[in-house]
Amino acid sequence: MANDMGMAAAPRMKTDPATFEVVKNSLYAAAEEMKVVLAKTAYSPILKVAGDYSCGIFDREGEMVAQGPDLPIHLGSMPDAVKAVITAWESFRPGDVFIHNDPYFGGSHLPDVNVISPAFHGDILLGFACVRAHWPDVGSAQPGSYGAVTEIFGEGLRLPPVRLYAEGVLNRDVDAIIFSNVRTPEERRGDLNAQVAANRRGSQRLSELAEKYGTDALLRIMGEVMDYSETMMRALLREMPDGEGSFEDFLDGDGILEAGSDTDETFTIRMKALKKGDTLCVDFAGSDPQVAGPMNAPLSVTASGVFTSVKMIVDPTSMIPPNSGCWRAVTVEAPEGSCVNAAFPAPVVYANHEMSHRIADMLFGALAGFMPDRVMACSQGTSAVLTLGGVDYRNGDRYVSYETIKGGFGARPNKDGINTIASGISNTMNTPIEVLEMSFPVRVEYYEITEDSGGAGKYRGGNGARRAWRVLGNDAQASICLERTKSAPFGLAGGKAGAIAQIAIETPDGTIRELNSKGGFPAPGGSRILLEVPGSGGFGPAEDRDPMQLAADVKDGYVSTEGAKRDYGVDI
Amino acid sequence: MSWRVGVDIGGTFTDVALVNEADGQIGIAKVPTTPRDFGEGVVQALDIALRENEVAADDVTLLSHATTVVTNAILEGQGARTVLVSTRGFRDVLEIRRSARADLYDLFQDPPGVLVPRHCRLEVTERIDAAGDVVTPLDESEIDGIVAFIRENDIEAVSVSLLYAFLNDAHEQALGARLRAALPDIPIFLSSEVLPEIREFERTSTTAVCGYVGPILESYLRRLQDAVSGMGLPDLYVMGSSGGVFNVEEGLKMPAMAIESGPAAGVIAAALIGRQLDKPNLISFDMGGTTAKASLIKDGMIETTSEYEVGGEGNVNRWIHGTGHPIRVPVIDLVEVSAGGGSIAWVDPGGSMRVGPRSAGAEPGPVCYGKGGTEPTVTDCNLMLGYLDPQAKLAGRLSIQTGSAEEAVAAKLADPLGLEVEAAAAGVIDVVNNAMAEALRIVSVERGHDARAFSLVAFGGAGPMHAAALATVLGIREVIVPPIPGGFSALGLVATDLKRDYVKTHYTALDAADPATVGAVYAEMEAAARAMLRAAKVPESQWALERGADLRYSRQAYELTVAAQAGAVTDATLRDLADQFHDKHRLTYGHANPDEAIQLVNLRLTAIGKLEGLDLRQSSDGAVDERKSSRPVWFKRSGRTDCAIYNRDGIGVGDSIAGPAVIEAVDTTIVVPPGWTARPNDKGHIIMEAQHGE
Repeated sequence: MANDMGMAAAPRMKTDPATFEVVKNSLYAAAEEMKVVLAKTAYSPILKVAGDYSCGIFDREGEMVAQGPDLPIHLGSMPDAVKAVITAWESFRPGDVFIHNDPYFGGSHLPDVNVISPAFHGDILLGFACVRAHWPDVGSAQPGSYGAVTEIFGEGLRLPPVRLYAEGVLNRDVDAIIFSNVRTPEERRGDLNAQVAANRRGSQRLSELAEKYGTDALLRIMGEVMDYSETMMRALLREMPDGEGSFEDFLDGDGILEAGSDTDETFTIRMKALKKGDTLCVDFAGSDPQVAGPMNAPLSVTASGVFTSVKMIVDPTSMIPPNSGCWRAVTVEAPEGSCVNAAFPAPVVYANHEMSHRIADMLFGALAGFMPDRVMACSQGTSAVLTLGGVDYRNGDRYVSYETIKGGFGARPNKDGINTIASGISNTMNTPIEVLEMSFPVRVEYYEITEDSGGAGKYRGGNGARRAWRVLGNDAQASICLERTKSAPFGLAGGKAGAIAQIAIETPDGTIRELNSKGGFPAPGGSRILLEVPGSGGFGPAEDRDPMQLAADVKDGYVSTEGAKRDYGVDI
Repeated sequence: MSWRVGVDIGGTFTDVALVNEADGQIGIAKVPTTPRDFGEGVVQALDIALRENEVAADDVTLLSHATTVVTNAILEGQGARTVLVSTRGFRDVLEIRRSARADLYDLFQDPPGVLVPRHCRLEVTERIDAAGDVVTPLDESEIDGIVAFIRENDIEAVSVSLLYAFLNDAHEQALGARLRAALPDIPIFLSSEVLPEIREFERTSTTAVCGYVGPILESYLRRLQDAVSGMGLPDLYVMGSSGGVFNVEEGLKMPAMAIESGPAAGVIAAALIGRQLDKPNLISFDMGGTTAKASLIKDGMIETTSEYEVGGEGNVNRWIHGTGHPIRVPVIDLVEVSAGGGSIAWVDPGGSMRVGPRSAGAEPGPVCYGKGGTEPTVTDCNLMLGYLDPQAKLAGRLSIQTGSAEEAVAAKLADPLGLEVEAAAAGVIDVVNNAMAEALRIVSVERGHDARAFSLVAFGGAGPMHAAALATVLGIREVIVPPIPGGFSALGLVATDLKRDYVKTHYTALDAADPATVGAVYAEMEAAARAMLRAAKVPESQWALERGADLRYSRQAYELTVAAQAGAVTDATLRDLADQFHDKHRLTYGHANPDEAIQLVNLRLTAIGKLEGLDLRQSSDGAVDERKSSRPVWFKRSGRTDCAIYNRDGIGVGDSIAGPAVIEAVDTTIVVPPGWTARPNDKGHIIMEAQHGE
């Protein structure tokens, strides 16, 4: 495209500002369009209605140039997934499609399946499109692949970077292996087709941009987009106060009970954050070693937790396009073989969200001392995953259901938290009850806001939710992955902690048994699973709460009269 | 002589358009909008319009109105005091929503306010299951308590949304009957009547919106009806979000239909132009001071969507929802971007040039208006590049201040970026054009349509200035500038048909669907539709009942709507639905799975009472000097070059104006870039064409 403005370009870029802005926006539009294609054509509820996936456009080296408006949890680890394919395969042809899910090859956990397609203009490789999507099941002994095991080998089908399509032709060997190893293969095939279709759309858009602007210009601009994000990130970091802070918090456990014990043992993450000039370094020295069960975070998962909060603190209005360039100014260090930098073959499935949730919350705590206006109190801190699997009594079909339930969003320095909404690294939607019950043999008996679960404070933490599922017909095999059943979501600046989570099963005879926070359990037909997800922390002292707001909270039942007396010292 | 009259209330002006049914002659009137009582401005504008065009009230056959009352009530949080009744255990469905936040990273975001405060969200013991069977019968003993609460708390409207009411409405009907009997003066909205459709949050939200805005809409429409009746005008019709009009009684049954009626009108007018010029494939492009809107018309049909949030932040994001209240009614599929004449251009800390989303609005306005604006806007850049007349008088008094616009562009853009001032201004126009092109691309290319096969209809005060440049970006070769582009939406109000959409969830595998049952559902909706058309006194020869079905592959979550054949429903009807669905899936998403089972989700019916087609025309006085002047204007292809300036009233049929040229009219400026040719036709349109090889 001829443009008279090229003569006097901005100092940092070779491309004129207008063309740069246009191509940058087109790259992000391509990533967003991939997302639309995936959601509208995928088969499993977790993808089509809950939205547990991310889409991106990558350069020829596997660096992320543009990420769709996706899950923060995937900020850090998508480039590693693409680089793993580049390392393994080296040369590419139009029509190739690769697949892998191995956390030790740049994945996050086995259920997150990466599908990667090279994008070409003619014979010239432009980069890659990648969709990471959560499959509700990738095999293993537990429907939903969320069992408490002690090695990654027990977590399900592990695919290294393999080629699913060679120049547009399906590799039937790979295909057969995949679909013999997952439950509900028809549903998974629909999901995989959707991922391939989304990549096709992304590659097509890249090719159109090359056609319009020239291959060299497009490749140059892809690099400039990342440089631009780096420049922006550094500029915004510089505007923030320098300082050093640390934070320590413990986790409920890893789902593996010591012989002879009936409670899960806790373990601890320690974090130190140093903000200086246009850089931020987060160091996890002193964190506990990796644990037996699947609460071990690969370093890229740890980094995703850090990046999520950095973005919320530094760039809450999303001026910086998310890509690999953003994170050049941020260093994440963690001892190898620790719970925040797991070594093969440690199991990892829970850590993907539970550890990154915790790390994201902890970074607010670590920075609160020197930038109190930019941080929020702790949110729910768990994805609260419930899986159910078995045979549907209505039609004899095998099913796997995967749901995450949202609790409170932490209180802010100037306002309350938010009730029952996704926080931090997560932003999946709930599955409508009417869709859930039509798809799976369960009945939800209540789903409501839990009073008094938001931490008291000048600004109240968001309340959590409680929910009960009745298992209908056949017995089901269930699993839970929950955090904050022991360590409550912390408040800041004198605000109190939010309520902890609880999980229990009520058998058909009416007996209620509390469950550990993680692992599989049988759920007989007619039993009820009772879940309370955590609230979030308050901000500022409870005695500074505006009495009018407290009275309104009591009127609406967000705070009970007992809660007002106990937590605020006010009789209403 | 019979006339149709449309009244459109905009943020700044209330427009009235009159069209003579016999010869298509257009008349317009414009008065300032009266926000405290919109009806005041409406009556005033009507009065002026009728007088100036010498039209007697008796000669008006249709009075059609676009209202912003519903949207404003939600945006301003000024709705009615409402009670929502839910299934026990589910009163928070409206607040929990879909539990995702609208913005991923905004630490300080707020969720949309809940339309019904928690203490007004009541529960009733009952439960129906996923098969539509009663698990827990309705506990009728609890209803007295609900009635008492409503009375004690001075409640103005009630919404009822129980789980699975779309499958089995017995509990809602029983509860509704008791409430209506006990509370005859309070409107009661049942989800099974408003929107019998799966997904509890979306259905509840739509029902709650009806309760929240119903009383306000009612008092507004009744007052306005009285006022226009007093003028001797006929019954008032209201334009709905899907682009059809309905009468007041019908609107009050489902107030959510009256959302976004103004923007819909512009698209309807564009479709009319398409019929008139025999151009069935159009993209409508409406650019004003703060936003630009795009919509697609394919084979003469307007695309609608049922994924819409009222009160949300209008933005280009296709994906992130959660800023407003979902209403599941058909809404004309408009994509809106924050890009208009008032959009502010700025340089971000990363050294990139950005335009919008902030706008200088009407106050202070662009720098060149000299009303205190200091930040360069799109209008300022248009002025510097020569597109706008630097000698024009603003509102007849103030003169345009080119110097201050240049200073602002230099200080805020050119210097920080190391660019010449002209290059900076050109860059702003390039960025804003591409942002708007993105909106056009979303409605066309992204939905599987090749934009190059469409003509662009450009309106709104700023649309015709940018249209040819936008068309170039997308490879569109023809741009149509209609008569009175500034008051175009009001024209759409009289160019439409009576319309009402019905939907009923009928959840079954398509190959297991019973043709007789499907036929019965259509028949039930058609009976309601006929009653509506009869009540509106539309002659039966003008009725059209269009069936549709929402389908998806059984494991997907999103449906595609296809048309269903009229007449008796047979196996062949259902097979035709399947074939259409596979085709549409392939067109939309690039693949189809013909071996896969298809799920039937909703049956739809659109009832239309057709009005006679109009043949719009605006005659030109032809008395003005053709070539007014010339001035240097900047174009991407040629740089700054001497350019002919025409007066619109001075050109007529047979003229062919080769770009570069600028055509100035009272309410807009048309830019004809090099490589484009503009030709007026006998109806008052100006058609611009790109030459081959461009």
